[in-house]
Amino acid sequence: MRRLGAVITSALVIGIGLLTVAGLVVGGDLGWLSAIVEAFRIRDISGIFLQLAVITAATTILIGILNLLVVHLRRVGRREKGWAYSLLLVISALGVIILAVLERAGVLASEPPLTTILFESVQVSIESALAGLVLFALVYGAYRLMRRGVTWPKLLFVLVLLFMLLAALPLPGPGLLASARDWLMAVPVSAGARGILLGIALATVVTGVRVLIGLDRSYRE
Amino acid sequence: MNAEQIGLWAGFVFTLMIFSYILGDNILYRLAVYVFAGLAAGYITLVTVEGVLLPWLRGTLLSPDAVGVGGQILGIVPFVLGLLLLLKGSPRLGPLGNIAIAFIVAIGTAVALVGAITGTLLPLAAATGSGVRIDLVNGFLIFIGISSTLVYFQYLARRQPGGEVRRGLVVRAIGALGQGVVVVTLGAIYAGAILTSLTIFSERIGFILARITGG
Repeated sequence: MRRLGAVITSALVIGIGLLTVAGLVVGGDLGWLSAIVEAFRIRDISGIFLQLAVITAATTILIGILNLLVVHLRRVGRREKGWAYSLLLVISALGVIILAVLERAGVLASEPPLTTILFESVQVSIESALAGLVLFALVYGAYRLMRRGVTWPKLLFVLVLLFMLLAALPLPGPGLLASARDWLMAVPVSAGARGILLGIALATVVTGVRVLIGLDRSYRE
Repeated sequence: MNAEQIGLWAGFVFTLMIFSYILGDNILYRLAVYVFAGLAAGYITLVTVEGVLLPWLRGTLLSPDAVGVGGQILGIVPFVLGLLLLLKGSPRLGPLGNIAIAFIVAIGTAVALVGAITGTLLPLAAATGSGVRIDLVNGFLIFIGISSTLVYFQYLARRQPGGEVRRGLVVRAIGALGQGVVVVTLGAIYAGAILTSLTIFSERIGFILARITGG
């Protein structure tokens, strides 16, 4: 029975995956392949598959949030360490949802809506403050980098880092630093970024093909 | 004091609570972070329900124009798949969840595959090729940088007569150049991250000062 299940899941992945690829890739100028795609309406089918995947992903997000609330409510119920924080989290989450429901029902009416004010004033403020706090972690990380032995990649990393920070200063003069920074960004950094992206894309293609031809079956575990 | 002003003062208080982390982990910071997590969960729920699930239900299950029973069944499918995923926690019914996983993996793989080819491989290869035509020296340097970066990320090696496995001298030399290019890229990205967070930090300090001075 377990083996039959494994065969069914593999067949589903290969079948749905290849249909979706065909629907996304095959255009109108590929001869008999295009004719098959047109005849069996594979483009429409792959469109429906994509929609179903998006809605399933949205459902899993809701399940995840529900799980988050249940875990924290359990912590509150058992008076575990830090239960007050959990209570605050649950109140914040349910508060936003209840506020939105009351607004949509027309019970609460304000311009701008309270959920918008809450989002722009509290949520965005906390997000920005956390992003600002990253500054200290980054600077401290760079400072600690050289403390565990000096190697040429570490030295090069710190030199480039310092140069880029120095070049960002509005210094007076002919702008040699700015020109050098622009060249660095346009040539070596661009090459490195493209190399990394191409590497990721090649690895994605290899893994994707392995999944679609049934060589990689980790989803059955 | 209206709701907007209360919101601004709340933002001021929460910003100070988050910045208190500079002095070390403390109760104020943790309170703010838990409120943040709760609000984020609430907003994600709203956006998911209002932006994705309700339009889908209105277009399928609740739509008078849904194409027969088939259209309505289609409306239920994602929710059934979501429920099947919940079964993954059960040792006995867990394998049923693999059907939902298989569906998501299949679509995800197809989209990633097509996206990698049409969104990354082809455009970057074309841009690199045209770069050489526009500016020969810099274009060639970019080509060398990309090639050496890719060589740096490959781990194929030949077994030596003594049994030791190591890459050839040429591959190691090109790989070292590639490592240098990657390090320069990461250094520049790190500097960019520092400058971005510095800008955000300055904006937050400006916000705090404006609240205090009433500006």
